[in-house]
Amino acid sequence: MTSEVIVDEAAQVRLWHRVSQFLFREARMLDEWRLNEWYDEMLTDDIRYVVPATDVHGESADALGLIDDNAARLRQRIEQLLNGEVWCEDPRSRTNRVISNVEILADQGSYLEVAANVVVYRFGHGRSDAYVGKYRFELVPEGESFRIRRRLVVLDHETLYEHGKISIVL
Amino acid sequence: MTIELQPPVDDPIVVDDLERLSFRVDRRAYTDDDVATREMARIFDRCWLYVGHESEVPEPGSYVSRDVGGRPVIMSRGSDGVIRVFANSCTHRGALLCSQPAGQVKSFRCPYHDWTFSNKGELTGVPLPDGYGPSFRKADFGLATHRSDSYRGFVFVTFDPEQPRTLVEYLAGATEYIDLVADQSETGMEVIQGAQLHGAQANWKLMMENSVDIYHFRALHKRYVSYMQSLGSVPPRRRGGFARALGLGHGANELPPAAARPLAHWTPMFDPELRPRMEATAARFADKFGAERAERITGMNRALLIFPNLMIIDAIALTIRKIDPVGANRMSITSVALAPKDEDPEIRELRKSHYLTFLGPAGFATPDDIEIVESCQRGYLDRTVRYSDLSRGMDKEIPETTDELPAREFWRQWDRLMHGDDGHFEVAQQAELQGTEKR
Repeated sequence: MTSEVIVDEAAQVRLWHRVSQFLFREARMLDEWRLNEWYDEMLTDDIRYVVPATDVHGESADALGLIDDNAARLRQRIEQLLNGEVWCEDPRSRTNRVISNVEILADQGSYLEVAANVVVYRFGHGRSDAYVGKYRFELVPEGESFRIRRRLVVLDHETLYEHGKISIVL
Repeated sequence: MTIELQPPVDDPIVVDDLERLSFRVDRRAYTDDDVATREMARIFDRCWLYVGHESEVPEPGSYVSRDVGGRPVIMSRGSDGVIRVFANSCTHRGALLCSQPAGQVKSFRCPYHDWTFSNKGELTGVPLPDGYGPSFRKADFGLATHRSDSYRGFVFVTFDPEQPRTLVEYLAGATEYIDLVADQSETGMEVIQGAQLHGAQANWKLMMENSVDIYHFRALHKRYVSYMQSLGSVPPRRRGGFARALGLGHGANELPPAAARPLAHWTPMFDPELRPRMEATAARFADKFGAERAERITGMNRALLIFPNLMIIDAIALTIRKIDPVGANRMSITSVALAPKDEDPEIRELRKSHYLTFLGPAGFATPDDIEIVESCQRGYLDRTVRYSDLSRGMDKEIPETTDELPAREFWRQWDRLMHGDDGHFEVAQQAELQGTEKR
């Protein structure tokens, strides 16, 4: 009995480690502006990237949010960011995503539900901003790694009066 | 309230020269703290200001609390069904009564000493009342109720008891455009939950100008134009349509849409399955309003500027944008989407989706607007260049949408109010009301 628990825990730790490493790698790719690689290697074809409104603070099907991208629109967002058409990201801002509190909330068989806390620091055009939020991912296992099928960022800010905008992928 | 007037005659901020067709604004208007302070007293303490939409307080007891003209207010629908706007401040010692942005209550209780007010504003409860003398009367301590009124669901307040105009008089020619928005549903319009609360490190007037400026669209919003092209909608460089000055600082642009309009204007960017439904809506509107007016309601885009700080943008979605000064160098922006209450659920989803694509702090256009107004504000640090130019279309009887007529109308009223010369509907009407014949 005892040994089984230990084996089980070791498997849990390994899984948690793999998930954490995946999220850290994603953060690094985004910080390095390797957006095409990120899109091609880390996301599923039916990716949904959602940032709800700050006054709703969480998901609500009826509410209007800040971002609700499907694959096509996310692709467009990335292309714009990379081709120099986004005036407010030219020159590109410097970002630093700090991820912690990584938790596997549930194993749903075909995917894992993962939560993490995140702070995205952004520096650009003479400004510095910090976006503080909670990630919720649906990670679909693929070989030893994963793909993200759902990427929810719930911002903890009451308003974005200071930030003004979200011009990067959070 | 006595305001010391600065001598404007020798050193005007707005230089309006109809003879030379030159219209310039001294950039002090965007940067100077004394101008910003004077604006609060001379404009925001006196004008009719937008508070919210009636649909945000749907039931007796519903309320929202928010800042209007730099003051915390409560818009409450009383148990009698009447919408009132209160100062969000206890009449006892001043604490905010409402710290929730919205809710449903029978009464407001001050957290400081438990003074309690009904949702109609009456003081109903005072703990330990024997502490007060015989002359103390609860009736003297009701919530401060501001003068408010609504037009077609849009609720406005004025903090000036002497404001000479009724709301309808104040709105002047803008009522025509509010009607074109309010008529988009037989069952009424509603604000969709989820506000975009953002801002910019720039003077609030820059965003008012930007919101009614079509000239910048192709230059600044290249990425949105590319996106529309990828969906098969190509906006031409000259969009047609016309600009109008609506009197008392209000202005509008009206132009044929380059993209779909979720109400009843289908283009290939929407699912073909929706086409018959949207055409049926268009036909229903034609029956109700006649072909010409129906076409204007369903088939034209418009951007309406209501002086001083409200924009209603009716295009790929319908946006109410309230822009508030925070000193000279910052602003806060509140944007919400307005939609027909009886909207088809699939079309509602498309409306929300396309709203997000263009608008709001993470859309494909607004972030660049935010950045560009901040850029202007930084550019003003060099005072060698003293004026901004807003003269496009001054020579035209009916200016185009790429002209700057609505911004000029805004500035002319701003100038009149800042110089204390605002008691005259007539003067505003005599001003350059270009484009007034066009309907």
